[in-house]
Amino acid sequence: MNLFRFSLRLLLTGLIFAASALAQPAPKKVDRAPSTAVIVPTSENWRMDGDVPVHSLLISLQGLANRDYPRLYVEYPKNWQWEIVHPLRDFLTRRHGVTFDRLAVNDADAALARFAKYAKGCVVWDKSVRSSLIVAFTIAGVEDAVVVNADLLPLALKHGLKPIVDLRGVFTGQPDHQIYQWAYDRYWKRCSRDYYVVLGGHAGAEMQPGIADFGVMQRAFFSDLSANPKHPEELALLKRILSQQNPASIVLGWHSYGKDTEGQHTTLTGNYGLKMEGLHNLPNVSFTCQIPLTPDFKFTNNHSVRRDEVRVAEKKVYVAALATDSMGIGTWTKPGRGKIPYGWQVLMNWAWMNPPALQYFYEDKTPNDYFIAGLSGPGYMYPKSIPADKFPALMRDARTLMGQLDLRVMEIMDYSEGNRHVGNTDLPKAVVDRYYQEFPDVLGFINGYGTARTFDLRGNQPFISYDYYLDVDRPTGEAAADLEELIQLNPKRPYFLLMHVRESNTVEKVATILGSLSEPVEVVPLDVFLKLAASNKTYRTNYQQPADPIDHNP
Amino acid sequence: MTIRLPFRLPLLAPLLLLSILSAFAAEPDGHALAGTWKIDLTRSTELSPWKSFELTITPQGTAISIERKLTWSRREFIDRLELDTTKSVNALPIDWWSDNRHLGAYIGSSHTREVRHQWLDGGRILRLSTDLVLDAQQGPRAVNILTDFKVSASGSELTLTELRSTRNRPVVYVFKRLPAK
Repeated sequence: MNLFRFSLRLLLTGLIFAASALAQPAPKKVDRAPSTAVIVPTSENWRMDGDVPVHSLLISLQGLANRDYPRLYVEYPKNWQWEIVHPLRDFLTRRHGVTFDRLAVNDADAALARFAKYAKGCVVWDKSVRSSLIVAFTIAGVEDAVVVNADLLPLALKHGLKPIVDLRGVFTGQPDHQIYQWAYDRYWKRCSRDYYVVLGGHAGAEMQPGIADFGVMQRAFFSDLSANPKHPEELALLKRILSQQNPASIVLGWHSYGKDTEGQHTTLTGNYGLKMEGLHNLPNVSFTCQIPLTPDFKFTNNHSVRRDEVRVAEKKVYVAALATDSMGIGTWTKPGRGKIPYGWQVLMNWAWMNPPALQYFYEDKTPNDYFIAGLSGPGYMYPKSIPADKFPALMRDARTLMGQLDLRVMEIMDYSEGNRHVGNTDLPKAVVDRYYQEFPDVLGFINGYGTARTFDLRGNQPFISYDYYLDVDRPTGEAAADLEELIQLNPKRPYFLLMHVRESNTVEKVATILGSLSEPVEVVPLDVFLKLAASNKTYRTNYQQPADPIDHNP
Repeated sequence: MTIRLPFRLPLLAPLLLLSILSAFAAEPDGHALAGTWKIDLTRSTELSPWKSFELTITPQGTAISIERKLTWSRREFIDRLELDTTKSVNALPIDWWSDNRHLGAYIGSSHTREVRHQWLDGGRILRLSTDLVLDAQQGPRAVNILTDFKVSASGSELTLTELRSTRNRPVVYVFKRLPAK
């Protein structure tokens, strides 16, 4: 090969890599999954005054024990929000050859007997200060310590783990911004710039720190700092933290239900161009992040149309239904899946953060399950909140992941100026322009969570918003009446009715609703739906208008 | 078939006239409806995306104000309809169409609604006929909504029935009167 050309190609490759936002290192993979690993089940009690102390000990121990090799899998209860813990355990055995050595429920003594050697000591949190446990997780990562409260300290000592840090009495009477400032002053410099953990979600008497094993493994800084302007001191510290994270790095976890809102927090992370991986109770990532895909596996989607295929819509009502609340907390394992064409939004970063989980979903899909990309990019983010100069690099990452995962549709959601109740979830033309520019090869875009009214068609790429949101509480009769009303409200044919299904609605319920309609409809896979929508534009082009209501999700 | 005019018509005419006049003279003032009402979710059409609905009806002379407060956790929506009962048609502003947030339907660009009212049963029932334009995916669509505010015999319960021209099913909300503050 011509040396000049080779050097040029090398240089271009380097430039492309440098420009990509995916600069953060993926967790190291082992050559193949371990043949044996330890499994410890937990109880269903996630109260601070219940079993959270022993669970926290186990989760911190898991993060340390798994730091260089997958050794410990925690079997969360069957009612855990991320419902795939048990099916994934069986999948790891069946497809990856992992045999599990089972301990008793909450058996921290046995777990420490096996894995205390991976810790250098313990950090004692203060039972009377909830946030001290969150600080303890930060310390656990940087000091290689397990977290214990006073009651569990004797157990740690029994296994030779002496206190490295004792938080008892340190934070008494202090507000959270002072507590996390204390942690910031002492540990921030030693924490990861690739991962920050917002250990929120359940607040008050409960905590579900399922993601903490991975945070400890990665030496992440933990907090549940608020993005709510009502808490200016917390917000200021949170901004300071986020502003120092690596560009396009990951924010793990979920906002605190007790402090701020999903819209506020995700808007803020987007302001810094960071990628939200939003599930505070996503379990066992320290284990699964290291396990590669099996050599015989390739990500393949159920495409019903070729990229260049032309489909022509008839004078009908076309319906496509999708679930987008993170596969694993929805109804994947519930009745009805496979009965009708159905779309599922994939958390794309799991391609490198959680490969066996994605392999499980891809191999478990039925011919009627179709995967799409999201949410708005490589992670959960709101495009209106992302500075325009950070947008292209993020979307390059999204394109790379979409290619890897065989995804051809991008889903967008934006709660920075509203939600499904008030405000708006629409995109101004400038943001729509950016998506068309960054994704010239997708079949189309879908937008919203609740309903939205951003619609467009450029070339053969439609941009369609949800016309219906199926609430968990909506009875089938009312839902059918809702859909029939939409069909009345939109009299032209074809009519393209895109339906978003809230996580806990089963596919069975959706099929029942669609089957009970008094109007004829055709339920089609999303890729077919978009091809048909490209063929006959009965929808009006619409973008967010200056007069549209804005609500900043207070 | 022969139609016979009632021979006693001349005698009944004054009575008929009196009753018509009295109907106009005694235009109900809405006091039967007055008060704050809280939805009984168990007896109402499913309310999602909202979890709570409070209705406050305030008559003031010839005006009547109907305020709706819909909430879901921290999210809240309030709108008010100010009706001048001396007018046969009220053209009123509307910021936001909140009646069914699951649907891709939004108040049209004029942000107005025409409301006609009718008192029935001596003021126990207020019937509104509202014409507005909703913007949907395919464009503007005229919609008529018939709404009855109906107070129970004891005055402790109010039933709101809504018939939309675009919806096959009625929407029924049952409210309990809240004690006066």
